[in-house]
Amino acid sequence: MANKTIALEIKRQSSPDAPAVWEKFELPWRPGMNVISAMMEIAANPVTADGQPTTPITYDSNCLEEICGSCAMRINGKARMACSALIDNLEQPIRIEPLSKFPLVRDLQVDRSVLFENLKRVKAWVPIDGTYDLGSGPRIFPQVQEVNYPLSNCISCTCCMEVCPQFNEDTGFVGAATIAQVKLFNNNPTGKVFKEERLRALAGDGGVQECGYAQNCVEACPKQIPLTNAISDVSRDVLIQKAKDFLRG
Amino acid sequence: MAAPRIIVVGGGLAGLAAVIKIAEAGGSADLFSIVPVKRSHSVCAQGGINAAKNLKGEGDTTWQHFDDTIYGGDFLANQTPVKAMCEAAPGIIDLLDRMGVPFNRTPEGLLDFRRFGGTLYHRTAFAGATTGQQLLYALDEQVRRYESEGKVRKFEGWEFLSAVLDSKGVARGITALNLRSMELQSFPADAIILATGGIGAIFGKSTNSVVCTGSAQSAVFQQGVWYANGEFIQVHPTSIPGEDKLRLMSESARGEGGRVWVPRTSGDKRPPRQIPESDRWYFLEEWYPKYGNLVPRDVATRAIHKVVYEHQLGIDGQPMVYLDLTHIDRATLDHKLGGILEIYEKFVGVDPHQEPMKIFPGMHYTMGGLWVDFNQMTNVPGIFAAGECEYQYHGANRLGANSLVSCIFGGFQSGPNAISYAKSLAAAEGDGGHAAELARQAEINSKLLNNQGTENPFKLWRELGDTMTKHVTVIRYNKGLQQADEKIVELLDRYRNVNLSDRSQWANTSFAFARQLKNMLELSRCVVQGALLRDESRGAHYKPDFPDRNDEKFLKTTKASFTGDVAGPRLELEDVDTQYIKPRPRRYDASK
Amino acid sequence: MATAQHPSTPSVRTGVQPLRAGQGTSFLWRKLHSLLGIIPIGAFLIEHLLSNYEALKGPAAYGAQVRFLNSLPLVRVLEWVFIFLPILYHGLYGLYIWMRGKSNLVYYPWAGNWMYTAQRYTGLIAILYIGQHVLRQRFMGISLPENPGAAFAKVQHELANPWMLAVYIIAMIAICWHFAYGIWLFAAKWGITPGAAARKRFGYVCAALGFALAVMGLVSIWAFVGPKYKNTPDIVPLAAVAVTASPVLSAPPAAVISAAV
Repeated sequence: MANKTIALEIKRQSSPDAPAVWEKFELPWRPGMNVISAMMEIAANPVTADGQPTTPITYDSNCLEEICGSCAMRINGKARMACSALIDNLEQPIRIEPLSKFPLVRDLQVDRSVLFENLKRVKAWVPIDGTYDLGSGPRIFPQVQEVNYPLSNCISCTCCMEVCPQFNEDTGFVGAATIAQVKLFNNNPTGKVFKEERLRALAGDGGVQECGYAQNCVEACPKQIPLTNAISDVSRDVLIQKAKDFLRG
Repeated sequence: MAAPRIIVVGGGLAGLAAVIKIAEAGGSADLFSIVPVKRSHSVCAQGGINAAKNLKGEGDTTWQHFDDTIYGGDFLANQTPVKAMCEAAPGIIDLLDRMGVPFNRTPEGLLDFRRFGGTLYHRTAFAGATTGQQLLYALDEQVRRYESEGKVRKFEGWEFLSAVLDSKGVARGITALNLRSMELQSFPADAIILATGGIGAIFGKSTNSVVCTGSAQSAVFQQGVWYANGEFIQVHPTSIPGEDKLRLMSESARGEGGRVWVPRTSGDKRPPRQIPESDRWYFLEEWYPKYGNLVPRDVATRAIHKVVYEHQLGIDGQPMVYLDLTHIDRATLDHKLGGILEIYEKFVGVDPHQEPMKIFPGMHYTMGGLWVDFNQMTNVPGIFAAGECEYQYHGANRLGANSLVSCIFGGFQSGPNAISYAKSLAAAEGDGGHAAELARQAEINSKLLNNQGTENPFKLWRELGDTMTKHVTVIRYNKGLQQADEKIVELLDRYRNVNLSDRSQWANTSFAFARQLKNMLELSRCVVQGALLRDESRGAHYKPDFPDRNDEKFLKTTKASFTGDVAGPRLELEDVDTQYIKPRPRRYDASK
Repeated sequence: MATAQHPSTPSVRTGVQPLRAGQGTSFLWRKLHSLLGIIPIGAFLIEHLLSNYEALKGPAAYGAQVRFLNSLPLVRVLEWVFIFLPILYHGLYGLYIWMRGKSNLVYYPWAGNWMYTAQRYTGLIAILYIGQHVLRQRFMGISLPENPGAAFAKVQHELANPWMLAVYIIAMIAICWHFAYGIWLFAAKWGITPGAAARKRFGYVCAALGFALAVMGLVSIWAFVGPKYKNTPDIVPLAAVAVTASPVLSAPPAAVISAAV
């Protein structure tokens, strides 16, 4: 086993305008390796499998504990977090590509700022009066906390958006992550104050109606967030809001 | 007069807290961060946040919290700011609660609290096992709100390179590098707040995130800011050894009843669950009957080290011990520790409900940092610091769940203080030094890009990490520290011969890394030389040759200042503010 | 603020645009599409399959059902407002939805994704089928509203062509599938079944309904092609039907899809 190696194929693109090329790498195997540690290895020794010198791979990463949401990429075709992709569990050669639905920056790095922009558009925050001491927060029963907590676990990795057949430039669909955040903030005793606004926002073009319920989001979510439940709940609330708005004139 | 413009560098808890206070006070904040702020390292904190809310009828008080913190930090922390922090903590928890942090609740709908290391009270509020994530998001959301109102501008994907100092040595802005376009730019400000976190990367593998290089601290250190107590590095007793990093196993695993043990006989090959109680050694419980598995981190770390290296009782002869949760029922575990157990299962491939986890101490937290006064300002006018990158709240050792509160408190202090400083600031002469600093940075960049050397920066970094981990973590000997310092000097020398395998000017990560590496090397000398100087054992700093605390000589803050000399930083000792609690021996095997 | 000189850099393309909060009308059109699939289209489908089932009772009973439906007040208005236009809209808007979705079944071969894709293909089959079916059975050949007695034979002649028979069988299955999954989707997307368990249970209900409808439909087709009513005259007299209908009905399975209105 001493000389065991692993094989990687990585899709490289030096800039948004440059052509994409596949580079092959062969690295020494070590127990417990994951895709990130393999790419760290390449950075320390940037040579392709056929001995050509190359550049270290550009990719986003930070915590390496699947909590910061940085290192989402497509590994053997599937969008997932690279830090938790253990080499021993992957079929080789491991093919690594950037997420396909977001503008490419370089190599495996893409621009996912659309999610953060979406969060602004649905006012995904609790509008507190101020940070001065105003005493305890509202009482929240554990049953409510247990609904909210999983939603609050969203790491903004955008896997749910990448795998969604409806998330693309034609629909401009907002994606499951933002919808789940709307449910979260509408559930908060103070966050509720924007409930109607958030629901109306989500009835806009690219809103919750674009969901095709393929349910890929919930399959791909590394945090097992009940995204389809959130979509159902929020869709109903949006509909009721629109009906009310219509009837109130 | 226009609203003061404050630059905040770093978008973790401290940075976001500062930004919120600045925006609320009517200032305008420019927030710089390498990563989108929601991906900052604060997201990794698991266990909880301390505040003496006394909701469990235990008679907990902020004074008690203060005392535990000072005692836990082995009396090295200045007491005035720590006292203020502990007094503010309950209000901070309330605020976070109002911001929508999904803290765990009691059946009555009140905040639930758990016990953490270094205290006998239930003082730690928590949101599942992802408290840091939840806190960071709550602040991130408030900042997003201000951003949408135009009160905050975010510069995500920009790396801080240096402060811009005017001819009088007053901060007038920063220079930063756009990590995508590699464009170098300077930004004016009336004051800057660094909230740039820990320095884990200096140790190669640590529980810190990739961006925690200490590069920003080092950059301003090289511009004249003092670096204090660098030698105090917390090694977390329970981390999961990994190929790319050490992953934290939260202290809350022990807080919820996790027990640390090893087989009594070395080389016991039985699977852990088949080893009967009588053949297990719960060494923490035996050595520290009062606190048991919940002794402070430094104590637990050294105990594990001792069991592995002196008693030779590591599992299978490897440097690992068991952290056992299998006696707790699944529902309780999932409810209270779900997130962290998931991490273990995901990254190790073993279910901790079924089998004890294998853990070992790993570099975790930087108690030392930029020297600041009680207003969070460094010795350079206009440069403030808050959060893990400054030294002020934890003394020689940080208690679990105190970091989140210190980050937020520090951020809350620094924001308004920076504004009042800025309001009385005289206008800069000329361009405030912007052109000169920009030229200096441009030259460093072009030199690095055109360097025709042979050294791979990532390999140099590995060597640095190996050296630091070997000589400057749990157990320190002067000889080893000396070797480490020599090694760093050697690496600094070899760095001049560094070769970038990527010279492009677009999203060039090795270029950014090479710049960080230089700063890491310079900063690591503060850590090593601080440790060399301190011939005593205090908190996380432990020298077997000097096993006792020496208050007479070393109840002092170590202050390093940059010399540019090959001998390394100049070190001075500064008195510690001990006006409230008289130092007493710190022992966890008996009442304090 | 100063900037160092820098060579021209590449630019990152704009990607998927953010939510157009509260703007546009796509919500209304999309929800209309979804609702029409259930009411009136789904309701009509059930009615149609029940009517077809009359074919089991023989050409006369079938003709009587056609005559009954055509005797409804304002039947031509009903036909356009509740059938043709909704189906046209549902079909065309459905195609529009399909065009804007990007199937990725290759990489994510998960159950829900299969269903998502299948819903699109079955929808396409339905549109093509319904188009020719309405043209040929409602607007071409002998006019059934005027000659309800000709209904059975007209269908029988159509199904005598084995290719057409295959088309009818495939379409029957596809349409029932599309409808059953459509109900399930409707419940999920309108928040009627917001929990995973509820969706699972309702999935069984929809599957059973879809299966029942498809069996009914196929059985009706058999009535036209089976031996029992071979060589039905082009027009059967319907006056007698009312009296004789039920004794005639005995065993054989049989019957249709087709022009019931």
